[in-house]
Amino acid sequence: MNPFRKKSKEVAYTRYSGLGSGLSAWRETIEKLMQPEGRPEVLDDVMVLDASESNFAGIIAASLLAEFGAEVIKVEAPQGDPARWMTPFGKTAAGVGIPFIVEGRNKRYMTLDLKGSEKDRGDFTRLAKKAAVVIESFPPGQMDVWGIGYRQLSAQNPGLIYIAVTPYGQYSQKALEYAAMPDSDITTQAGSGLSAQMGDMATEPDPFNWPLKAGMWMGWYITGLSAALGGTVALVHRQRTGEGQMVDVAGMDAYASMTGMPPVIGYTWDYARPRIGVLDFILYPYGHWKCKDGYVAIAAPRDHDFRALVKILGLWGWTGTFENDWRFTSDRIPDLLDQAMQLHKRIEERTMRYTADQLVSRALEYARKAARSKWRGGGVPIIMKVMTPETAMMNKQWQVRKSFAEVEDKSLGKVIVTSGFVKMSESPPRVKWITCDIGKDNAFVRTKYGLPQAEMEEDMA
Amino acid sequence: MNDYFRCSAALFDPAAINEKPEALEGIRVLDFTHVIFGPTVTRILGDYGAEVIKLEVPFYGDMWRLSTYWGRYWKHSNPTFQFITRNKYFVSVDLKRPESKELIYRMAEDADVVAENFAPGTAEAWGVGYSHLSKINPRVIYLSCSTYGQYGPMRYFPGWDLLAQAASGVLHLNGHPGTGKFYKLPDYLGDFVPGNIGALAVLMALYHRHKTGKGQYIDLSQTESLMRALPHFTYRGLTGESLDRTGHADPAMMAAGIFKTRDDKFLALACATHGQFVGLCSAMGRPELAADPRFDSYLTALKKENADALRALVSEWVRASECAAVLEAARTAGFAAAEVADDQMICHDPWRRERGSVILFNDDMYGEITLPGSSAMLSRTPARTKWLARPLGYHNRLVLKKFLDLSEEEMAALEEKKVIGTFDDKPGLKPPVYYNLDSDPIYNYGRKVAP
Repeated sequence: MNPFRKKSKEVAYTRYSGLGSGLSAWRETIEKLMQPEGRPEVLDDVMVLDASESNFAGIIAASLLAEFGAEVIKVEAPQGDPARWMTPFGKTAAGVGIPFIVEGRNKRYMTLDLKGSEKDRGDFTRLAKKAAVVIESFPPGQMDVWGIGYRQLSAQNPGLIYIAVTPYGQYSQKALEYAAMPDSDITTQAGSGLSAQMGDMATEPDPFNWPLKAGMWMGWYITGLSAALGGTVALVHRQRTGEGQMVDVAGMDAYASMTGMPPVIGYTWDYARPRIGVLDFILYPYGHWKCKDGYVAIAAPRDHDFRALVKILGLWGWTGTFENDWRFTSDRIPDLLDQAMQLHKRIEERTMRYTADQLVSRALEYARKAARSKWRGGGVPIIMKVMTPETAMMNKQWQVRKSFAEVEDKSLGKVIVTSGFVKMSESPPRVKWITCDIGKDNAFVRTKYGLPQAEMEEDMA
Repeated sequence: MNDYFRCSAALFDPAAINEKPEALEGIRVLDFTHVIFGPTVTRILGDYGAEVIKLEVPFYGDMWRLSTYWGRYWKHSNPTFQFITRNKYFVSVDLKRPESKELIYRMAEDADVVAENFAPGTAEAWGVGYSHLSKINPRVIYLSCSTYGQYGPMRYFPGWDLLAQAASGVLHLNGHPGTGKFYKLPDYLGDFVPGNIGALAVLMALYHRHKTGKGQYIDLSQTESLMRALPHFTYRGLTGESLDRTGHADPAMMAAGIFKTRDDKFLALACATHGQFVGLCSAMGRPELAADPRFDSYLTALKKENADALRALVSEWVRASECAAVLEAARTAGFAAAEVADDQMICHDPWRRERGSVILFNDDMYGEITLPGSSAMLSRTPARTKWLARPLGYHNRLVLKKFLDLSEEEMAALEEKKVIGTFDDKPGLKPPVYYNLDSDPIYNYGRKVAP
């Protein structure tokens, strides 16, 4: 496939006339992105000890660093991290849960009994002296009690970045009271403000009007991403100054801190936002509608986009339609939910007459005409099919971009995983392996970091 | 234990943040981004001390200035824009004019990071793409943000967070199985999550540059950022089954769901281990359930029919209990539970104020508002808020005179030609009505102002 072939769609949507003189340099850059293999890894000088337990936020943070080339050593108890068995409907492959396999990427697996063995905690300390990053998710203060907390480890390794992931953090009265409360994705979603904004409006029947959980581990993903991001800021500081620090991530902050909406709206409004189903508070139309053969997502929030959309749907005109009705043309985001739903249903009546493909091509045809005209107010209504993960994956876009990797595993065979979640011309992230057998790298880690081999010690004891 | 908490409270003391060093001090960011996705990347860099110069079109500005909740403004501004653009320098230049390009090329000479989220190819066509700016400054880290990426057959297709949610499968997954009821992730999460990934990628590139001296180009697709969160592709590959919508339940954790309490509140509850489940059983007054063959091992209990049965039992117990009682039981018995928190609860929770994850900020121009703190608290180089959003073109004089050393005559000529300009008296663009710009020394940088 030639990614530089100019398409008429491109002219319609981007509305620029061409790349001009920059083309050859641009092409060179894109070709670099398309061939990520063999390029340097950013964190090839960073060792990470991931001691997180029963907690995918910690695991995901470690994965993100591993994708950028850090040597991540997952330290777990000899019986295995319980996270290995957190898997939808209890489905496993070779005895391991699917999410754990997905996040198994690029890691070393080592067993140490931090809870039960003084000797193993000693080994952990010896590894931590050589580590750039430690990640843990035990109750706040637990590692400190074991003598392997931030205070003890940073005294021996002042450059250490110590990332703690818990529901309520490492300080505040609440964190102390709730220190023993374990973590989960669903409580993170609910407690940080995500669930309250998802679900049908109050007038709809139970339980559809209840707050909802996002259909993936969005709470843990946000928390893990925040931990990796905070840790990387600390790595940048460490690279310049040699100084380490502690990074405290609380799951209950996840959604509120990442979007900022709950604190800001909570202050400027004197009541909490209600759930509004498929409507949107700020942009309209901005959601999905049923059509003849499935669902389409439609984004046409600017006035000229909206006008274009109603034209496509045959709703523009003076008699009995939208053009003379201010409720629809200039008050599309009212706090009167009835009025908003009227508009929503009027649009749905029309989308139901077409298949998804018909709607997509109508929008494209409109955009193409509007792009050719000198009048710039034509609008760009965007219509797209709502994909399932399966149909999304078939999209040629992701094949061209190598967004999925097929990784060979000796017990699982070929496994498809997402890979290269961002493209970088010099030092791209990647997935190298996903094999995650318990203790598979015990000997490797012990040899590399000068720890006594476990078997020998047992003999001596 | 109290000693540990005292010690970590001192490490993270919110009152001491402004005296601590900034990790990204001296990093200059040239910011062409608009709406939420791109601005979130540069906002995070700014929170950690980078100097972010936000470029907007004179007299129009970033469209997110106008995109307010239910169309309502707060002190002539969009409150959500306040958070997304805090700590930035607001400069307005018209990209389509050759004079402004000269200014941009001069700013690019010592920029460390450039970020844009135009439709793919637009920045190149306008002469401010990586090809152009990397010639002026080979060490530059250039981030392009888009919905589908800069190459591939869909690259031209315009995007919003919604489209990334639809294209990744995420939109389809939030809702109730066996129904047509599903919902997008709220509050443009499909912009915020990729925005954080973008900041992560830029930081990685800074780390790489420090070692090798090399800048680079970053192509960030928000759809790929969302797909990274889905185990569904691998699940399908390894089990042969599709993982569909799962409603109020988390099918991967024991007893995990959102339930309604006797006092009509909602809470989420989950057990990460069988040990935690034993705690839940005793809290429910049903210790025998822990040994029930349907629930006696973690994986067995996750099987659909067993999980449904278990959730029904838990649901019944929660419905008969007060919310506070369930939370207290969870705290003492050791399983996870949290009340569903809404805007008001999050804004006013005392512990979030104590932690600094919600801060009451007092801005020179806008006065008081609550803002989120950082998603991660750093003990040595914490993120901080210095100022909120500013009217369009507020820092024109400061940036162009101080950083680019333009003379009064040059400034006047640029204003005359409308290469630079300000807010044109529009809400969302202009200062609050009570604010007197004439006596503002930053807006009038280099000019004498009346006190």
